[in-house]
Parts: sequence; structure tokens; C-alpha cells
Amino acid sequence: MKDKLLKLAAFCCAVTLSACGGRTNKTVTAPDGKLDPCTIRFSWWGGDDRHEATLEAIKLWNSRHPEIVITPEYGGWDGWTEKTAAQIGGGTAPDIMQINYDWLVTLSPDGKGFYDLDRLADQLDLSGFDEDVLSFGRVDGLLNAVTVSVCGRGPFYNSQTYESLGASFPETWDDLLALGETMRGSDKYPIDLDIQSGFTAWYLSVVYIQQKTGRNLITMDGELGFTVEDIEAALDFYKSLEDSHAVRTVKEHTDQDGNSALYQSSEFISGRVAGVLEWGSSVGKYEMVLPEGALKAGPLLADESGNNSGWMIKPSLLYAISANTEHPDEAAAFMDFMLNDSECAEILGTTRGIPSSEYAEKSLENSEKLEGLVLENHDMLEAADTVTISPYMELDRMKEFYNTAIEKVSYGTEDTHTAAQEMYDAMSSYLEKIRK
Amino acid sequence: MKKRTYNNPVGVGKYTGLLLITPFIAGFLLFTLYPFAASFLLGLTDYDGVHPPQFIGFENYRELLADSEMHDAALVTIKYTLILVPLKLIISLLAAMLLNLEVRGIGIYRTAFYVPSILGANLAVVIMWQFLFTSGGLVNQLIGLTGADAVSWYGDSRYALFTIILLRLWEFGSAMVLFLNALRDVPKEYYDAAKVDGCGGVRSFFAITLPMLKNVIFLNLVLQTIAAMQEFNAPYMLTGGGPMRSTYTIGMMIYNEMFRYHDAGTANAVSWLLFLFITAAVLILFRLTGRNREDSI
Amino acid sequence: MKKKITAYLLLTAIAVVMIYPLLWLIGASFKSNDEIFSSVWFMPKHFDFSVYRSAWETVTPYSMGHYFLNTFCIIIPKTVFAVLSSVLVAYGFARFDFPMKRMWFSLLMGSMFMPAIVTAMPLYLLWSRLGVLDTYIPLTLPSLFAAEGMFVFMLIQFMKGVPKEFDEAARLDGCGALKTLFYVLIPCIRPVIVSISVFTFLWTMNDFLTPLINISSVEKYPLSLALRLSSDSTGNGYEQCKIIAMSVIGLIPSAAVFAAAQKKFISGITAGGLTG
Repeated sequence: MKDKLLKLAAFCCAVTLSACGGRTNKTVTAPDGKLDPCTIRFSWWGGDDRHEATLEAIKLWNSRHPEIVITPEYGGWDGWTEKTAAQIGGGTAPDIMQINYDWLVTLSPDGKGFYDLDRLADQLDLSGFDEDVLSFGRVDGLLNAVTVSVCGRGPFYNSQTYESLGASFPETWDDLLALGETMRGSDKYPIDLDIQSGFTAWYLSVVYIQQKTGRNLITMDGELGFTVEDIEAALDFYKSLEDSHAVRTVKEHTDQDGNSALYQSSEFISGRVAGVLEWGSSVGKYEMVLPEGALKAGPLLADESGNNSGWMIKPSLLYAISANTEHPDEAAAFMDFMLNDSECAEILGTTRGIPSSEYAEKSLENSEKLEGLVLENHDMLEAADTVTISPYMELDRMKEFYNTAIEKVSYGTEDTHTAAQEMYDAMSSYLEKIRK
Repeated sequence: MKKRTYNNPVGVGKYTGLLLITPFIAGFLLFTLYPFAASFLLGLTDYDGVHPPQFIGFENYRELLADSEMHDAALVTIKYTLILVPLKLIISLLAAMLLNLEVRGIGIYRTAFYVPSILGANLAVVIMWQFLFTSGGLVNQLIGLTGADAVSWYGDSRYALFTIILLRLWEFGSAMVLFLNALRDVPKEYYDAAKVDGCGGVRSFFAITLPMLKNVIFLNLVLQTIAAMQEFNAPYMLTGGGPMRSTYTIGMMIYNEMFRYHDAGTANAVSWLLFLFITAAVLILFRLTGRNREDSI
Repeated sequence: MKKKITAYLLLTAIAVVMIYPLLWLIGASFKSNDEIFSSVWFMPKHFDFSVYRSAWETVTPYSMGHYFLNTFCIIIPKTVFAVLSSVLVAYGFARFDFPMKRMWFSLLMGSMFMPAIVTAMPLYLLWSRLGVLDTYIPLTLPSLFAAEGMFVFMLIQFMKGVPKEFDEAARLDGCGALKTLFYVLIPCIRPVIVSISVFTFLWTMNDFLTPLINISSVEKYPLSLALRLSSDSTGNGYEQCKIIAMSVIGLIPSAAVFAAAQKKFISGITAGGLTG
């Protein structure tokens, strides 16, 4: 009896370990330089507009390369990370994937989680990309992914509320604090910050400190750039925003909106909360719930001398090829089409932001498809001296550290000094753990 | 080893039962044992889902036992279960008794009462809860009418858990259905006899209904306890675990460790701790209701 | 009479509270985004039924009808499998004694205690090894093996309520074990069997994570995945009403199945059952 149990246990271990280790002993298919008939899978998440445009683009591809069939696999954002993680863990990932920036750290920490795209230069033309932009997709020197578009957060305001108060959009940090005091009387707020998954409260505080000190929160290799004092100053700055009525306190925010996003909040829709810090590429949902034309892009906040550095950009999306793909050449050719082809770019429009590929961007400019808040925000950030967001900055565990500190400071359960020290310790030990 | 005798009807061998449960045995070996074993082993490793797992013994468990996040989550889960389960049993039993009335159109009411459970995690539920419990929401307006101060349902760590409990109380459908299944078995004559003896409605409820329903009450108690201890969806939708982790359940912690923090080792270790918690809770329920396992099978 | 009126008043009052969100949801399918998030009142300002047509058509090459069919291809075998296997297994536990019975029962209970998200990954790897990913096998096959321990536990509790004398009588009439099950026990516990079928139906309708992980072709998506195809909270925004219209359509089968089954929750043989 005991013997049988032992055998059973041994069997289980063997199965488990072989399953877990399954990914490591795969072989990488080398490119052969020619396009053979085959079927490749392409996965992305998004909303209706992106689905429609992408399916249309695939049709165009099929008319040109009927022998290379593209199987689309797409869905909403909910659960997409889990699905992709399961696929990559199980070695069943699609040949081409639309990926999120922080997945480079979580899914390919050693740079071997995705195909090395430098090997596919025959099919994939990267001449339309700045080296800076390309470097976003490099892990350990290996080109894991190509940036589809770059985006950054900027302030957007409800101009109707501002007009009704006779106020103009803030240009400096002091303007923002002063505006808070002005709006206190009418119980309105110039802007909104939160501690949800977008961690905008911490984000704006980081911009403020980066601008002031020239140091970055986290370097591209995942080292802490801020000192404990910087973090404390950032938390103090956030607290001053709350104190001067520039933003709602965390408690007020939660009481009024629950756990919902700001564009689903009646406080924002009614104009009481008159601003939002949002990615240029996804501000549409805020625009949609306000009267037409009411939402306007505001200037990137600067210091007294007009220095508006410290604002951040990152790749909004990237394309990667699975390390297990059997058709690297064909996948690369399709990726090239999605990134660079002018006809394809026209179909896709800005459904994945303003394309980073010069060729695609040209094509959109020529067909006058570039307009609106996306473009305004894009140009503003392009003109400023921006900082690239480290992929480590957006890891969910890091967000948890930021939000916990902000929450404690806002609820007053901890002073900024203690909270800063705790946050610093937590971040440095976590970063050390995952960098190894 | 002591020879066991099998208590079966005459002419039935000891293997008939075993044969009947073969599907379960096969399923257990095929689909349960392996994930359980895998999960247990992964709980003993440091595993980010990408690098090969590193065996680290019971390190994850040691860390968890000292971890304030784990403590908070365990306390929240226990508090949540202790408040929710009894209330839910009472409400679903009362609802079932009401729906057991033989009046015209009762089918429509039965369906209506089950609607919240069909909605589950629908967007409508989240938005409805917002309209009800945010600072200017309906509930606070009602409280205002009585002259009391508004309650900070979402923003105050003392109350946030109740918004979730209220949601789950409102979704009492499946417990109610099981009660309905059992209620028909209480013969009418019992109540008639009780009436003749001068028993009022309340007394006959305690003297007849409750004792007659003890199996199904136990069943619901066990099932609801298991579900409550695994709670994930409601706090995930309504509060995100906050404020100050006051609605952060063990279920949420497992999800976060697994999918957001990519720490599969810890996620599996937490799952096994939860497994032990639930086992303990269910054993206590068996004990408290005076059933040893033999009897309840 | 007065008692009846009180009962109706009470029932109606509760029913309104229970179904209001559904009413609101239907109303919201005609609203603009800002209207949805700023009013608790269910009535939309105007009705425009075209939203239902575009919801039905979806952005994918398939209509909602296609996704309904997919869902039914999963639900029907799954329900049949779950009921058959759970009843057999429960019968074994409830009525017979056999070697290691306590151990098997503990394992049955224990299999309910592990949160599904931790077993999802190892199972995914198993399915991947067996080469059945992107088929409905991972979604249906486990049900054939009494994978829902909870159903077995439910059935055991109800079967125990049926007096053993019934079995005895059947046996004297010459019924074997299976005949006794079909002619005596199953009729007695029919309401629970109906409940189990309904639960399987409703829960499978709503299940999102299992199909999400195991199914990758859009063509094979069940409804629960199709419903979330369009909602991208990270993107540029979308018309909420269309997604709501899809979910309203998606709720119809669940509500209909429940409404059709609810009569069977109660009626049945009045003798036996959970007495004692």
C-alpha cells in the first residue's frame, strides 16, 4: 500500500515538473529567408473599433498573400493578461501577439520569452523607427517587441466648468494649487487623481519630483532612481494637492465613485470634477461622456521658469513574435505589414494610437486621419523633454506600493516620512528580487 | 488489522458502491489529483511562471505566516464568512417559505427572486450598488430622512465590507432553490395538527419546519461557507479590496499573487492555507451539527 | 383573503427590489454613456432599437446566434454528463458501504475546497499535453466524472432523506441496485435533479475564465466570451449601450430556463424526501 502511494507521488512529481519545464526545452525555429504557405495566429485585445479595423487589415493582407492565412484571436481586455500568461507558460502562444509594455518584464525577464526580432531583418523593416523607440522593446539587448505607438499622460480639462468659473487651465504647479483654492468655494475640483490601477495620484507626484530633481523614479534596468527624500517630497506634494482642494481626498473619491473609473462617475459627467490625467491614446472615453468639444487638452504642468520636463512617455502597445513560432519569416512579414504598410495604416487609423513607424504616420498624415486630442497630446509630449517610463514602474506589485502609500497618507494613518520609508524599502527589495 | 464489516443490504457486496462511484474515482485521478499535486509542489517553489521553479521548501509558508497582508486577508475572510453565512441562510429560508405559498402567479415571483443570482457579476449590479451606496446614494438619502448622519459605505474601512455582504445577501437564489426543494417534504398534516394543538405560526416554524429541514440547512451551511471563504468576485468588482485592505479577501490575494504579481509559488501556498482553513471550518460544522462523517455520507 | 393580499404585497415589494437592476439594464441599452452613469432611473430618454440589431450582428464575422449555438454545444453535454455522473456517485455514497468509503468521501469534499484559479493552470497544461486545447473537451469532459463535488454532496443529502424502507420494498419486488435508483430514488429527489441541471446551465452561461483560457478561436467562443469582446477599458472608449444590449440578449435563455424549471423545484412526490 505504502509502496503504491510512493509510486503515485513520484509519478505526480514527474508529470508536474515535465509540464512546468515544458517551456524551457523548446527549440527556436530559425528563419529560412523565404515565405512559405502556412497559417499563422495573431492575437490582440481591444474594443470594437480596433477589432473591425484589424479584421479589415487582415482581409487586405489575404488579398495580397492568399497563401499565408492569418487566424485572428481577439477579445476584450478583461482576462487577456491571464490568457496570454497561460499560453506562454504552456508553450501554446499565437505566432504574433499584441503585448503590453510591462509584459516584457513579466513574460520575458531574460529576453528569451519572445523571438529575437533582429534575426528577422529580412522581412521586418525597422528603418521607420527611431532607435529610442525601438529600444523600448529590447530586453537584455534582444529585440523582443516592436513599439506600435508611443503615448503619455497629460492633463485634460472640462472647459465648460472652467469657463463658468472664469478660470483658465493651470500652467504651473502653483497655478493648480491656487485653482484648488478658487474652486473650493463652488465645491468643484480642477482635476482628479486616483489610486486605482492607473495610479494617477502617484504618477503626477512622480512627474513633479522628476521635473524638480532631474532624477527618474526607476531606471530602465529597474534600479530605484529616487531617494527616500524624493519619495517623501512626492507624497508631501500629493498631500498638498489634497489640502488645497486641487483633488478629492482618497476617501471622498471612494465615497463618491466607489471603485469605478472616472469616466463612469457622475461627479465627472456633471462637471464637478473638471479634469483628468489620462493617456492621450485613450482619452476618448472621457470625451464621450461630456458635451461635444467640452474636453480640452491642457498644458503639461511646468515650474515657474517654464521647465516642463519630467513628463513621461511609454510604448502604448507592442507586437511580439512567439519564441515557439514555426513560421518566423511569415510572422515577421505580417508584422511588417501591420507596422509599415501605408494602405494598412490607413485602415487601422489611430485604433492603436499614433503609429511610431514613420511610414505609417506619413500615410495617416497624408490621408488627414490625424486629429483631435490624441494628436494634441502627442505633439505636446513630443515637444517636451520627456522621460521614458521604465517597464518596472508599471508592474502591478509596484502599483500596489504606490497606492498603499498614497492611501495611508491620505487617510492620515501614517505621516509622509514613515510612508516614504516603507515604500522605499518595499520597492527596493521587490526590484532586487525580480531583477535577478 | 481489524477486519471491517460492510453494512450493506442483503445480497449486495462491498464492491457495488465502489463501482457506482467509479466515475468520481476516475475523475479524481485524472483531473483533481494532478492539479492538486502540482499546486502543492509549486507552493514549495519560487516560481514566476517563466523561469523554471526553484525548490525552496516551506519558505513561502513561513513568509506568509509572518505577512501582514496574509493576516489581514484571513481576518477579513473570517469576518465576512461569519456575518454573511448565517444571514444568508435566514433570508433564503424566509424567501423560500414565502415562495412555497400556493398562490396564483407564484412562478413569476420565484423567477423574480432568482434574477439577482442570474445577473451575478453583470455591469448592472456594480452600477446599481454605486447608485445605492455612494455618498449621495439612495441608502444615504433614506438614512438622511430619519435624521441620522450619512454613512460612508465605500470610503470607510469599517463599513466597506458590508456593501459586499449586502450584495451577496441579495443574491440568495441558489440557497433558496435548495430550501424550496426540501420544503415540499414537510407534510401539511403536521402544521394542521400543530394548529389544533394551539401552536402559532412562529412556534410551529421552530417545532416543525426547522427540524424537518435540518439536512438541507446543513447542506446550505456547508456550501455557503465554502463559497464565502473563497470569495473573490464581489470585492474585485465593488471595492478592489480597499479601503485599507478592509475588503481584501484571501480569494483576492490568491488572484493578485497569481495573475497580477506573477508569484505562482506564493499563490499556491496561499491556496493551500485557504484549503486548510476551509477544511477546518467544514470539520467544525460537521462537529457542531453532531454529525460525524460516517453519518453524513 | 386579507392574508393573501398581504402575501401579494410582500412578494411584489421584494420582487421589485430583486428585478430593478434588470429593468435598469434593459433601459440602459437605450442610453448614452453619460446617461447610464448619471441616473439610477431605468427609463431611457428615447428608444432606438437599432442598437439590438448591431448587438446581434457583433463586430466579428459571426452573429450572436452563432455564439449561442456554441454555448449550447457546451451546456447540453455538460448538463447531461453532470447529472448522470453525480447521481450515480451520490447513490453509491448515500446507500452503500464499501472499502475506503470515508477516504473517498473526504476527497470528494476536499476537491471543493481548492479555489478554481489555482487548478486552472495545471489543468491547462494537462489539456495542452493531450492536444485538446481550443476544443470543448476541457469544458465538458470533467463533468462526465462527477467533477462538481458540490452536486454530489447535494444529492447525497437529499437521498439520505428518502427512507431506506423504500429501497427495501423495491428490492423485495426484485429490483436491482440500478432499478432501485431509477424507480425509487430518482423520482423522490427529482426537484434536486432539476436544480442541478439549472445550476449547471446558469453557471456555464456565466463562466468566463475557463473558456477564456482554453478556447482561442473566435469562431468557437461561447457567449460569455463574446459578450466581453467589445469592452476594452484600456482603450479609447466604446458605446456602453451596445455591450449592455448584448448582455440583455444573453440573459434571456437563463431567465427562460429558470422560469420553465421553477415549477419542478417543488412538485414531485410528497412522501419521503428530507424528513429526518
